[in-house]
Amino acid sequence: MTSFLDRIRAAAPIASRYGGSKFRKPTDALVADLEAALSPGQVRADGAQRALLSHDASLFDGGVAGPVCFPTTGEEVQAVVTVALRHNRAIVPRGAGTGLAGGAIPFGAPVVISLTRMNRILEVDVENRVAWVEPGVVNLDLTKHLKRIGFHFAPDPSSQQVCTIGGNVATNSGGPHCLAYGVTDAHVLAVEIVLASGEKAMLGSIGPQDEGLDLRGAFIGSEGTLGVATKVAVRLTKNPPAVKTLLLSFASVRAAANTVSAVIAAGIVPAAMEVMDQRITIAVENFVKAGYPVDAAAVLLAEVEGLADGVKIEAEQISAIGTQNGATEVRLAQSEAERELLWKGRKTAFGAVAQIKPDYYLHDTVVPRSALADVLEEIYKIADRHQLIVMNVFHAGDGNLHPLLLFDRRIEGELDRVHAAGAEIVEASLAAGGVLSGEHGIGIEKQDYMDRLFTSDDLDHQNRLRNAFDPSCRTNPGKVLPMAHSCADIQALRSVPAGVWG
Amino acid sequence: MDLKIDPEELNACVQCGLCLPHCPTFRVTGDEAMSPRGRIKLMREVQDAGAPLTKEVLRSFDTCVQCRGCETACPSGVQYGHLMEATRETLAAKGKVTPRWQRAALMALNRPRMLRAGSAALAIANKFGLVPARLGLPANMPVRQAPLKTSGHDVYLFTGCVMDAWQRSIHAAAQRVVEAAGYGVEPTGALAPCCGALHMHAGLAKTTRKFARAMIASLPDRPILVDSAGCGAAMKDYGHLLGTPEAAAFSARVFDIQEWLAPNLARLPVSEPLDVRVAIQDPCHLRHVQQVHLATREALAPFVSELLELDDEGLCCGAGGAFSVLEPELAQDIRARKLTSIERVDPDYVASANPGCALHLASSGVPTIHPMELIDAAINNTPLPAK
Ligand SMILES: Cc1cc2nc3c(=O)[nH]c(=O)nc-3n(C[C@H](O)[C@H](O)[C@H](O)COP(=O)(O)OP(=O)(O)OC[C@H]3O[C@@H](n4cnc5c(N)ncnc54)[C@H](O)[C@@H]3O)c2cc1C
Ligand code: SF4
Ligand code: SF4
Repeated sequence: MTSFLDRIRAAAPIASRYGGSKFRKPTDALVADLEAALSPGQVRADGAQRALLSHDASLFDGGVAGPVCFPTTGEEVQAVVTVALRHNRAIVPRGAGTGLAGGAIPFGAPVVISLTRMNRILEVDVENRVAWVEPGVVNLDLTKHLKRIGFHFAPDPSSQQVCTIGGNVATNSGGPHCLAYGVTDAHVLAVEIVLASGEKAMLGSIGPQDEGLDLRGAFIGSEGTLGVATKVAVRLTKNPPAVKTLLLSFASVRAAANTVSAVIAAGIVPAAMEVMDQRITIAVENFVKAGYPVDAAAVLLAEVEGLADGVKIEAEQISAIGTQNGATEVRLAQSEAERELLWKGRKTAFGAVAQIKPDYYLHDTVVPRSALADVLEEIYKIADRHQLIVMNVFHAGDGNLHPLLLFDRRIEGELDRVHAAGAEIVEASLAAGGVLSGEHGIGIEKQDYMDRLFTSDDLDHQNRLRNAFDPSCRTNPGKVLPMAHSCADIQALRSVPAGVWG
Repeated sequence: MDLKIDPEELNACVQCGLCLPHCPTFRVTGDEAMSPRGRIKLMREVQDAGAPLTKEVLRSFDTCVQCRGCETACPSGVQYGHLMEATRETLAAKGKVTPRWQRAALMALNRPRMLRAGSAALAIANKFGLVPARLGLPANMPVRQAPLKTSGHDVYLFTGCVMDAWQRSIHAAAQRVVEAAGYGVEPTGALAPCCGALHMHAGLAKTTRKFARAMIASLPDRPILVDSAGCGAAMKDYGHLLGTPEAAAFSARVFDIQEWLAPNLARLPVSEPLDVRVAIQDPCHLRHVQQVHLATREALAPFVSELLELDDEGLCCGAGGAFSVLEPELAQDIRARKLTSIERVDPDYVASANPGCALHLASSGVPTIHPMELIDAAINNTPLPAK
C-alpha cells in the first residue's frame, strides 16, 4: 500500500506517473479566451499565483495549477468551464484551500476556479428555515450573519472561521457540534451545480419531498469530482435557548475517554464532546489564554444545550459522571466570552502545534467509543517506539481520532519514522474495529486506502456515478478514486514538478 | 535570493490558513497572493527555493498593509511582522521597493520645520480645494497652531511628526487630561521629531534605528505617553530593533496613553458622562501589535453614555501608515467593509486612537474623534467637534 507520505517523498515521480512531463503552461489562447469570458482582472496566469494555488493546507507538494479564475456568478463559472472544455483542460474548484486531504490540489495544470469572490448570502428565508448562499461564503460569516435573527449553520468544522460553504459541501465536513446535529449532509437541502459540460443543474429541492434519485446526496462529499457548486440552500438551525460548557480535567487520557463513553451510555447526547491531551492543551493555552489547565493529563470540553432546566440537569449529570471517573476538576464556563475563548482554543488546536514542530501529519480515524482508551494508549506507545511526539485532540463523542504526529521535514529520517508510526496507528485503529473514515475527505491523501474499504465492485460503481456527471473526467481529475478505478483521468493529466514561476 | 528572514521564523507557518479571514487584503480580493499564508509561501519560494522575484511577487509583498491582524490570529505564533520587515528591508536595500520619491518624502518627517511649512502650504491648498480627495487630508487642516507648553516633568507626551503638524489639538487634549490626573507633562516636540514607524514599514530600518538611538538619548528616565497607536507600537519595538538593554529599558517606558490612563482613572475629577454613543475602532497597532486595546474601553467607559463594539474583530480599516496613499483603491475597498460595520452600530462618534485611521475614516465622512478628546470634553467641558 502506498501511503500519502510515500507520495510526498516522491513528489516528482508522482507527477510523471500522471502522464509524462510535458509542461502545460497556460497557453496564451486559453488565457485570452478566459479573459474574454470574464474580465482581465478575473484571470491570473502568473507563476506566483499558480505556485500558490498548487497547495492547500495538506502537506502534498506535487500540484501544478494552470490559469486561476475568479468568477463572481454562476454564469461566469459556466463560461469558464466552457472555455476549459474547448481547450481540453481539466478544472479544479477551490474554496479557501483549508482541505487536509489535498482535494484542491491541481494536477496537470488545470484551470483553477477560485470561488472566494462568490461570497454573497443571497436570501434568508426564516419562515422556511433556509438560506441560499454562494459557495464562497465563509462558514462562520454565515453563522454570524444569522445570529441577528437567532439562527446558525450547524456544521462547525474547526476551520470554520475560514473554510467555505462550497468546501464544506464538497468534503461533507463535520465539526465538534455535529455530534448532536449531524454533518453537512444533514444541513444542505439543495445545490445548484455547473457540470463539466458547462450546463447547470439543480440537485435536491427546498420543498418537503424530493423526487427520484438523491443526487444532492451523491454530490455532497464528492470533493469537486462531479461539478462545481455555484449556489447552496442551507438549513437554518435555531440557536438554543440555553447553553452550558463544561471543562473537565483528568489525571489520565484513559479517564477522559472513559467519561465520554459513560456519558453516552447514560443516555445523554451532548452538543459536543472534545478531548485534548496535555501536550496540545499546553500549546493551545499558550495561544488563547483561556485558562485551560496545563497540568492535567487530559481535558474534556463538553457542551449541552436546549431548554434551561434540561441543560442544567444534564450539566450536573456530566459533572457527576466525570467525578466518578476521576475528574480532578470540573469547571463551568461563567460567561459567553469564556465559552467562546474555550472553543477558540479547541478550534485552533491544529494550527497551534507549530509552536512545537514546524510540520504535522494528521490521521483521521474512527474507533468504537468503547475502544477509545485502549487505542489511545496504543498510539502513545507507537509514537514512543518511533521517538516521535504525538498529540491527541479528538471528537470524542463520535470516536473520531485526530492523532497529530509532529516532525520537521528538514531533519533527515524524521519523516520516515512518521510514516512508519502512521501506518501502525492506522493498523491499531482498524484492529480495534475502527474505520478509516475521514471527515477531512479522501482527496489524494486516502485515495490508495480506498481499496481497503471498498470492494472492486463498489469502486467501479462509484466510477460509473462519476461518469454520469462527468463523462470525460474533467472536473478535479486524479482525486478520490484510486487510479485503477477512475475513468479517463489519466488522459486529462499532464504535469511537471513545480518550482519555477512562469 | 536571500531575503534575510530568520529561517526558523519563516519555517514556523504550517499553512493552515486560519489567518486568512483576518487579513484585510485577502478579505477584499479573495486572492491567495494577497493573504498572509500566500505571502509567507512566496517568501519561502524566493528565499528557500530560488524562485525569481517577479513583479507579481513584489506586488504581493507591496500590498501588505502590515496591520499584523494575521499575527494575533495565528495559533502557531508566526511572527509575521518580523518576516515582512526583513523582506522589506532586504528589498529596499536592493532598490526593489520604496522608490526614491517616497524616500525623500519620508525623510521630511524628521525635519519639523520643513514639515510644518509644507503642511501649512498643504493646508492652504486644501482650503482652496486643490488637494485630491484621495489623499484623505483632514477637511479643516490648521494653518497655524498654538504651541504646546511644558507643565512639569513627570511624564513625556510624545508629539511626533505628521500628527503634531496636522492634529496638535489632540495632543493638547491629551495633555489636559494627563494634567487633570495630577501629572506635569513635557511635550517632546523637537526632542524627538519622529518615531520612524513609516520608514520601518517602507524597509528603511536603518533610518528607524538612527531615529531610535537619537530618541533614546534625548528622552531619559520618565514614562513616555503616546497618543498615536502606530508611533507607540514602533517605540515599544525599539528593544527588539536595536537589541540593546538600553533600548529594551526605553521601550518598557513607552505607554499608549489609554493604557497608561486606565489604572490612573481614579485620579481624574468625577464628571457626568457625555451623552454620546461612541463606537470604538481599534487601530491595528493597538490591537494586534501592542495588544492593549482593551484599555481604551476601560479609559473611556466612565466618560460616555454608551460604548459600542464593531463586529469585525479588529479587521484593519485600510489606513496603514502611508498605505492609503500608496494603494488608494485597495485601501478604499478595505475601508468600505469597516464602514458597513460602523453603520450597523450607528454611533455618534467613532473613537480612534490612531491619527492615520481617523483621517482615513474621516475622509469618507465618518465622525472620528480621539479618545483623549472625549475625556477632555467630559472633564474640562471643552466643546466636542461637530458630528
Ligand atoms: C486547522 C484546520 C482544522 C480543520 N478542522 C476540520 C474539522 O473539524 N472538520 C472537517 O470536516 N474538516 C476540517 N478541516 C478540513 C477543511 O477545513 C474542510 O475540509 C473544509 O470544508 C474545506 O473547505 P475549503 O473552503 O477550504 O475547501 P478547499 O480546501 O478549497 O477544497 C476542498 C475540496 O472541496 C472542493 N471544492 C471547494 N469548493 C467547491 C465548490 N464550490 N464546488 C465543488 N467542489 C468544491 C475542492 O475541489 C476540494 O476537493 C480543517 C482544516 C484545517 C486547516
Ligand atoms: S501564518 Fe499562522 S495562521 Fe496563517 S497559515 Fe501560517 S500557521 Fe496558519
Ligand atoms: S499584516 Fe495585515 S495585510 Fe499583511 S498579511 Fe498580515 S493581515 Fe494581511
